[in-house]
Amino acid sequence: MSSKLHGLVQTEWGWLIAIYLFLAGAGAGAYVTGVVLDFMGPEWATIAKIGVFFGFPSVLIGTLFLLADLGKVQNAWRVATKPGTSWIARGTIIISVFLIVSFIHLVFWIFPFSGLENADGLRHLLGIVGLIFGIGTMVYTGLLLGDAIPIPFWSTVLLPILFFVSALSTGIMATILGSSLLFQDSDLVHGLARFDILLLVMEIVILSAFLHGAHRLPSSQHSAKEVLFGGLSRFFWMGVALCGILIPLLIDAIFHNNFMAIVAALFGLAGGLILRYVVLKAGAMPPMDAAGFSFRPVSKPKLPMAARGMVPPGNL
Amino acid sequence: MTPVRPGIKEDVWIPTCCGQCYCMCGIRVRRQDGIVTEIEGNPDAPTGRGNICVKGLAGPQLLYDPYRVNYPLKRTNPRKGIGEDPKFVRISWEEALDTVVRKLKEAQEYDPRSVYFQATTTQASEIRFGVIGFMKGFGTPNYWVSGGGLHCGNGAHFMNGIMHMAWSIIPDFANCNYALNFGCSKGHGAGHSAVMNATQAADARARGGKTVVFDPFQSAQASKAWEWVPTRVGTDGAIALGLVNSLLNEHGIWDAEYLKYKTNAPYLIRPSDGRYMRNEKGKALVWDLDDNCPKEHDDPSVMRVEYEDQAHDVALQGKYVVDGVECTTGFELLKEHVKKYSPEYVEKISWIPAATISRIAKEFGEAAEIGSTVTIQTSKGPKQVPKRPVATHFFRGSQGHVNSGWTCLSIDMVNHIVGAADTVGAALGLGAAVNSGYEPTGKPYQMPYPCPDGLMVAGAWVYDHLPYPLHEPRQPQRLDLHDMFPTSIYNAITIMNDNWFDLLDQFKIPYRPKVMINFGSNSVMTMGNAEIVTENFLKKFEFIFSFQLYVTEFEEAVADIVLPDACYLERYTPAVSFPSTFSHPQGEDDWGWTIRQPVVEPLFERRDFNVVMLDISKRLGILPKYYKGLNDAVPMRYGGPMEDKYKLCEDGSQEHTWVDICDRLLKDRFGEEHGLDFVRKKGVFTWPKKKEDVYWKWFQSVRVPIYFEYFIDGGEKITKLMDSYGALGKGGPLDLDWSRFKALADWYPCPTHTLDNPEYDMHTFYWRAVMHCNSLTQQNPWLDEMSQEDPYVYALQVHYDTAREKGLKEGDKVWIENPEGHRVKGWIGLTDGIEPHHIAVAAVAGHWGEYQPIAKGKGTFFNDLVEMDRDHTDPLTLNQDICVRVKIYKAD
Amino acid sequence: MARYGMVIDLKRCYGCYSCVMACKVKNHTPPGVFWARILKGEAGKYPNVVRQALPILCMHCEDPGCVKVCPTGATYLDEDGVCVIDTDICVGCKYCFMGCPYGARYAVEEWGSYFPEGLPVTPLEEFQARAFEEKSGFGVPTKCDFCADRRSFGKEPSCVAACPAEARIFGDLDDPDSEISFLIKTRRGFVLKPEVGTNPKVYYLPPR
Repeated sequence: MSSKLHGLVQTEWGWLIAIYLFLAGAGAGAYVTGVVLDFMGPEWATIAKIGVFFGFPSVLIGTLFLLADLGKVQNAWRVATKPGTSWIARGTIIISVFLIVSFIHLVFWIFPFSGLENADGLRHLLGIVGLIFGIGTMVYTGLLLGDAIPIPFWSTVLLPILFFVSALSTGIMATILGSSLLFQDSDLVHGLARFDILLLVMEIVILSAFLHGAHRLPSSQHSAKEVLFGGLSRFFWMGVALCGILIPLLIDAIFHNNFMAIVAALFGLAGGLILRYVVLKAGAMPPMDAAGFSFRPVSKPKLPMAARGMVPPGNL
Repeated sequence: MTPVRPGIKEDVWIPTCCGQCYCMCGIRVRRQDGIVTEIEGNPDAPTGRGNICVKGLAGPQLLYDPYRVNYPLKRTNPRKGIGEDPKFVRISWEEALDTVVRKLKEAQEYDPRSVYFQATTTQASEIRFGVIGFMKGFGTPNYWVSGGGLHCGNGAHFMNGIMHMAWSIIPDFANCNYALNFGCSKGHGAGHSAVMNATQAADARARGGKTVVFDPFQSAQASKAWEWVPTRVGTDGAIALGLVNSLLNEHGIWDAEYLKYKTNAPYLIRPSDGRYMRNEKGKALVWDLDDNCPKEHDDPSVMRVEYEDQAHDVALQGKYVVDGVECTTGFELLKEHVKKYSPEYVEKISWIPAATISRIAKEFGEAAEIGSTVTIQTSKGPKQVPKRPVATHFFRGSQGHVNSGWTCLSIDMVNHIVGAADTVGAALGLGAAVNSGYEPTGKPYQMPYPCPDGLMVAGAWVYDHLPYPLHEPRQPQRLDLHDMFPTSIYNAITIMNDNWFDLLDQFKIPYRPKVMINFGSNSVMTMGNAEIVTENFLKKFEFIFSFQLYVTEFEEAVADIVLPDACYLERYTPAVSFPSTFSHPQGEDDWGWTIRQPVVEPLFERRDFNVVMLDISKRLGILPKYYKGLNDAVPMRYGGPMEDKYKLCEDGSQEHTWVDICDRLLKDRFGEEHGLDFVRKKGVFTWPKKKEDVYWKWFQSVRVPIYFEYFIDGGEKITKLMDSYGALGKGGPLDLDWSRFKALADWYPCPTHTLDNPEYDMHTFYWRAVMHCNSLTQQNPWLDEMSQEDPYVYALQVHYDTAREKGLKEGDKVWIENPEGHRVKGWIGLTDGIEPHHIAVAAVAGHWGEYQPIAKGKGTFFNDLVEMDRDHTDPLTLNQDICVRVKIYKAD
Repeated sequence: MARYGMVIDLKRCYGCYSCVMACKVKNHTPPGVFWARILKGEAGKYPNVVRQALPILCMHCEDPGCVKVCPTGATYLDEDGVCVIDTDICVGCKYCFMGCPYGARYAVEEWGSYFPEGLPVTPLEEFQARAFEEKSGFGVPTKCDFCADRRSFGKEPSCVAACPAEARIFGDLDDPDSEISFLIKTRRGFVLKPEVGTNPKVYYLPPR
């Protein structure tokens, strides 16, 4: 099925937007993790820096994916001229501010300058502003989809929460990944991993509630079925449930070494990306029921449109 | 016109006529900078009135399709047959014409009758003029309009000609309140004045008019009906006779006035042989109740031409003694005869509950408002006529069976029982046929007149062979023995025996087929099983050349030369909506004579068929004869003789271009000032239709039969003639049930009903999807896209329960196979809208030709399941049966 | 100034695809793109089952979801209430696809051909590709605009003009005397997916 068939399933947003949503969420999540850790005391400073370090480039690259998806990128600047009209416009403001703040934070704390290293007050002030817009970025990715009223699967309050938790979790995993690559075993990193276990459990709860709710509502049932049993079920069960949640959860719970932390983080990050993809692709509108009729899609073989054949001699 | 885009220098709309099906609506074609970009309906043309169907709109793609044949082609692989690569090479027109003319000359010297013309209904307007003219000029009687002709209306056209002097029938939508429809989609996509009927049918629905549809599946018409009655395929005739019985014997409803004065119901019938009682002058008799004595049927005292006329009462029932013989009326015999079609009996045949049949008959009878009248404004002032706001109508689905002839007559008989024929609200002839003509010239003049027995003779007809009276069965001259079968239009006798030539020997036909001229037909696909058609028939020709738009399966299999024809947007046609078949709507709108004019000159090396035939005639040296052929074709087909000054030159002193020929025909019909230059401005010439031409029944002094006395004679003559050739024997080539030539209607089962092999548990039949006509439209990419949009068109429609029982699911690829072992592939589309024992297949689909890649492999090739043999042939009309018993199983 | 709307009489419509084709031909839309299209549905169980066609197009809503989500104001209602796209402003984010409950929008990256590559492009397709690019362009959403160009020279939208069943009526909803206002009032006109709250200006009349 596709939107070409009865306008049911959205096909316009695919991997590019999924990567954008993922990178924006995970990047902002890592930044927020860094800022919070920075607040927790100097012993966290190095790990905090890794979190903050990931923030700007991830969100920037994510934004580039969004730009790549635009049909008319030369008009991208116009989005800024109409702030507040739409979640894309609002998101642009949020992300722009976040990018500026996280850029300053990165440049003046980590590389190449270090002016903020000793200016705790200023850094924390910047961190609070960044924190607000970072959280905004994480939540926004859910609100963006949630504002598409005709797609009931997305139009739920649980989606921004799910995306927020997933963004924070993947942000922490990115931080753990960076830390584990740079340093030897660290109790602090393992502590972070234990916190992530909490987030993953929360994600299970929210995801279950989200899918259960979607499945119960007739209007979004089709989407939930696609995710749980349909064409997206492999992505969901293997990618999201197993790789993205269960494996990191178990690894984090059982192992406490650097290598396994890296493995868990990589699985978790991949799962976060696939989650965005699954949610996007499952976006569907309920069938156009009217006057007692159900205008259902028909599953039929795909037939070629522009088929190649023999051209009568002389024509070419 | 305002150009859409700046920079466009030319933006014109050219009025002409559609050619995507045989319905021929008026269109306006937009040409921008020399490119045909858009088509819309022509509001000036009564056929269409500005509306247009999906096929008509898709016309521009036909013009520019890169797969069109643009240059003459020659076959270089001498082997013919399905699956052979013809190895076509491009040749020059000169070489092509040289070859063609040489072959035709050889045939002419051998026997001109050895040339066989095969045409397609899509080119109906060309067939009735250019093709017929050439055949007359060349001297061959052999032609047929392949699948479309044989399948679709072989029974229906003939029977409607007898009963309505028209090609088909349709309810008077504007006034009809209750219509019964048997297996067709008139007014819902069928190419029968398609868009006007659609408008009128929609108006009728909006007004509250009810339709009951008998059909095995939910056709477009059934989906819009008041009631859909699922039936078993091929049982329509039994249902109709059930309704007749129910009306006559259960509810006691009939229109005595109508039956007495407008039918042969009161004719007295001799019990010994079923013939009319005749007096010494040979006149058929009725019984005058006022004078209590027999009268000649056309005695002024018992004639009531107009409704307001006075006449003696005549007997419809009872026994009377004439010349010592006790006799009764045709009506009495009919009434007795149909008693066996009790609702319970019909239920067993058709699977329709007995109570439903009885109820519908009652509803129909009551809705007929027998006795009611209405005053209409005729050209001679206001006149009272009966109002009968009910109608039955039918077409392809119900008539495509071995009971075709009687089924058509039975369904229409329901109309005649209640007097609902060609009067206000009733079943009207379609295309409208009775025509007083354009007043200044009186042409086209198409008026029925009575035969000596008082029955209606068509005053103009599509071909010389009138539906009534039957011509004498005579020693066959034609390759399909057609001369012997006066009640048929086309037949497949050429195909249904393995050895056609043995049959020709048996019937002492001294020549063999040599050259086939094909004009637009793809008979490999449109007749029946492709292998049988090709082997038994097409391969018997020594040389085949074909005017074609595409290299179709026909050309691939058997054509020696392919000539690139111009399509309808590239040619002149002087008469399109006349003779009125499907191309003129019924009802009160004006008459309209549409023409075709080229919107662009023929592209590449395409040439108009008409122009090439003139060229060929010239090279053959038969030009004057061809002109004479055209002159001779005009009076019967276009209503009225030609004036001498417009006749084409028959003495060889003058040559005419095709444009001149078109101009002359128009001037002859409509006067010197209304030639081509005049008509082309609007693409149509219109004049007012008289009310008494629309509702002509009570203005014409003709009767129609409900007792088909003359069939008895016809049958006797045919069998006698066949016997003289020793062809009557059991198992012989023409061993059909000739006893069906009789006076009273009956229903006969199809092979699908009598087969008792439980393995073949499904009935299949085909239906016509709105985006397709014949086999041509499948290659149009836009129409293909629409077909893909539709859930049913490329699918085999199967009921949910049936699929569940058989373990099939939606989208599954399956085979359907007939008992003879022929099978076709398709995929399943599930629906609730089909009688569970049926599978519905759409259109002439499932092309395999390499040169039509858009059509290739889409849909299912139903016709391959159609066996062309004696068991599947209606003796009365020689119509082919096209319902098939099959088994269905999964394909890998 | 008007408030254009359309009424589609499902009682008259028999699903013949003329509207779909008329739209395609006139608006030069490439393969797979249907500014007007037809859905087919069934109601009930055999033998009490009915098939019905549902022609859909841009509903030109009063409170359009597409306009609500558009970040640049490229999609808006013009002075006649027709939902239009200013392709000069559109950024091509496709958010409007998610905002439209009727699947009325189509993205066209390039003008695809109905014929395979390698064949000469037909004059018709060459013309159409050019016309489509000039009118709608690529990389931006495209959809029905109630045939703005035809309206500019006083003609009805092409789907309305073609309909053999005359099931489509186009008119001004602000005019209480217009045929469509009358039909909506007297024939129980309804809209699709009213629960989404977009207030469409394309109304339907019940099939029975």
